[in-house]
Amino acid sequence: MIEFRDVGKRFADGTVALESLSFTARDGEITVLVGPSGCGKTTSLRMVNRMIDPTSGSVLLQGADVADADPALLRRGIGYVIQQAGLFPHRRVLDNVATVPVLQGLSRRDARARAAELLERVGLDSALAQRYPAQLSGGQQQRVGVARALAGDAPVLLMDEPFSAVDPVVRVELQDELLRLQADLGKTILFVTHDIDEAIRLGDRVAVLRVGGRLAQFAPPDELLAHPADEFVTGFVGRDRGYRRLGFVPAASLALVDLPTVRDGADSGNGAAPGEWTVLLDGADRPAAWLAPDGGRHDLGSVYVTDAGGAVQDGAGTLRGALDAALSSPARCGVAVDADGRYRGGVAADDVLALLERDAGRAVR
Amino acid sequence: MRAFGYDIGQLVVAHVALAVVPVLAGLLLALPVGFWAHRSPAARRVIVPLSGALYTIPSLALIVVMPIILGTGILSPVNVGVTLTIYTLALLVRSVAEALDAVPGTVTTAAVAMGYRSAGLLFAVQLPLAVPVLIAGLRVASVSAFSLVTVGALVGIDSLGTLMTSGFEQDYPQMVAAGIVGSLVLAFVFDALWLGLGRVLTPWSRARTGV
Repeated sequence: MIEFRDVGKRFADGTVALESLSFTARDGEITVLVGPSGCGKTTSLRMVNRMIDPTSGSVLLQGADVADADPALLRRGIGYVIQQAGLFPHRRVLDNVATVPVLQGLSRRDARARAAELLERVGLDSALAQRYPAQLSGGQQQRVGVARALAGDAPVLLMDEPFSAVDPVVRVELQDELLRLQADLGKTILFVTHDIDEAIRLGDRVAVLRVGGRLAQFAPPDELLAHPADEFVTGFVGRDRGYRRLGFVPAASLALVDLPTVRDGADSGNGAAPGEWTVLLDGADRPAAWLAPDGGRHDLGSVYVTDAGGAVQDGAGTLRGALDAALSSPARCGVAVDADGRYRGGVAADDVLALLERDAGRAVR
Repeated sequence: MRAFGYDIGQLVVAHVALAVVPVLAGLLLALPVGFWAHRSPAARRVIVPLSGALYTIPSLALIVVMPIILGTGILSPVNVGVTLTIYTLALLVRSVAEALDAVPGTVTTAAVAMGYRSAGLLFAVQLPLAVPVLIAGLRVASVSAFSLVTVGALVGIDSLGTLMTSGFEQDYPQMVAAGIVGSLVLAFVFDALWLGLGRVLTPWSRARTGV
C-alpha cells in the first residue's frame, strides 16, 4: 500500500509542484495518476522512492514513512520503469535486467539466470538477451525496461509514462502485456500518464490531478466516465465517455440472436445467392465472412468476444464490444464468438440499447 | 640505434615517457576536477575558463619557470613533465565535464531509481558511457603533448626535439627532418593506440540494429 498524506512540494525557486495531495494506492491494484503537464504527477511518483522529498506531509509505503528509509536501499526494493526505458546503453539486455539483483547482492550468475526468466516472462525472445539496447526496437526496449523493474522482485512498481514514446499499435500491445503480467503478479503499481485513455484502460483506480497537484477526482475508471466530479474532469475525460463507459458494463445478460450460417465448402457456400445476410463459417466453426443476400463476400467487421477467458482483450464480454460489433457489421447485426473464436451467435444493436435502458431504469428507481 | 651522433632509441624512449606519463597524470587529475565542474554549475563557471587560460600560457615560459616553482634543477625532465600535465589537465577538464554531460538524463535517472549510490553511478554507469567523448579529448591532449615535448629540447631536456635543435645549430636539415618525422610518427602511433583502447572499451557504441 502506498499512502500519500497531505503531501506538498515547494521547490527552492518558489514553484509549487504539489499543494496538498492525499490518496492511497491499494495493494495489488494499478493506481494511475493522470493529468496535464505541470500537475505534479511525476513529482508525486518520485516521492515514493525518494528521488524527490516532499516539503510537507509524508509518503507511507506499507505503513512506514519513506523519509526514514535509506534512499538507495529503498529504491532497490521498488521497481521503476522510466519514459523511453532508460536502459544502460553499455550493457547487454541480460545485464540490464540483472542490474537490481546484482545491487541486491546476488552473484552475477544467479542474477543473470533471474534476468533470463524475466525476459521470457515479458515475452522477449532469448536471442535478444545478448544484444545491446540500441539493437532493439522501441517496444522491445520498453519490455526490457519492465523486465528490469520486475527483476528485483519488488512488490511495488512505479511507472513513469512508460509507453509514451512508442507508436500507438505497440503501445496497445505493451498495455495488454502489462495487464496480463499484472493478472499473474498482482503488484502494487503506481502509474503516471498524461493519456486519459491509457489511464482508463489500465487503472483499477484513477487519480485525476489538476495543475498544482490538486486531486480533482479519485475513482475507478467506469465511475470517472459515468460521473465526472466537475467540468475539469469532464473536459479531461473527453468525448464519447458514454460510449467508452460501455467498456466497463458486463454484457453477461445480453441475449445472442440466431443468424443464418453456412459452412464454407458446402453447396450453397460459394457463389450461390443465399437471399439474406448469412455468416460463412470455416471448418472449425469460426466465422470467416458475411455473405450478402446476392452472394458477395463482406468483411465481418469487429467481432464480439463473449468471454476472452484469461486473455486480455479489448471489449470482450462488455457492452462496448457487443455494440461495436453490431455497428461495424455490414449486416446490421454483429457476430459473437467464444474465447477460441468459434461462432456463438449474433448481436443486435437494439438488444444492447434495450439492456442499457433497463439498467438505467433500475438506477433511477 | 645511433644516428647524427645520438642514440635514437634513447631519445624515442625519453620522448614517449615525457609525453605519455603527463597525459595519464593529467587525465587522473582531470577526472575529479571535471566531475566537479559537471556537478556544480557554479564551479564550472570558474573551472572551465581557468583551464582555458592555463592552456594559453606559452609552453617555453612554463618550462623555464618550473624550476623556480618546484625547486627542481633547470635540466630536470620533471619540468617538462609537470608542464605537460598542466596542459593535459587544462584540455581534459572540459572534456570530462562534457563527457559526463553527454550521458543521457534518462539513463542516470534510471540508475538512481535502481538504487545506485553516487560512487556506483559514476563508475558503473557514467564513466563507461563517457568513454567515447573522453577518448576524443585524450587524443587531442596526446597529440599536443607529443609535439610540446620537443620544446623541452630548447632548454636541454632530451627528446626527439633534440634532433631539431641541434640539427638547426649544425645547419643539418636531414637531422631536423628526422626529428620532425620521428615526433609525428610517435604521435600517430599513440593516437592509434588511444583510438584502439576506446574501441575495446566501448563495444556497445558500434552495436546497431541487425547484428
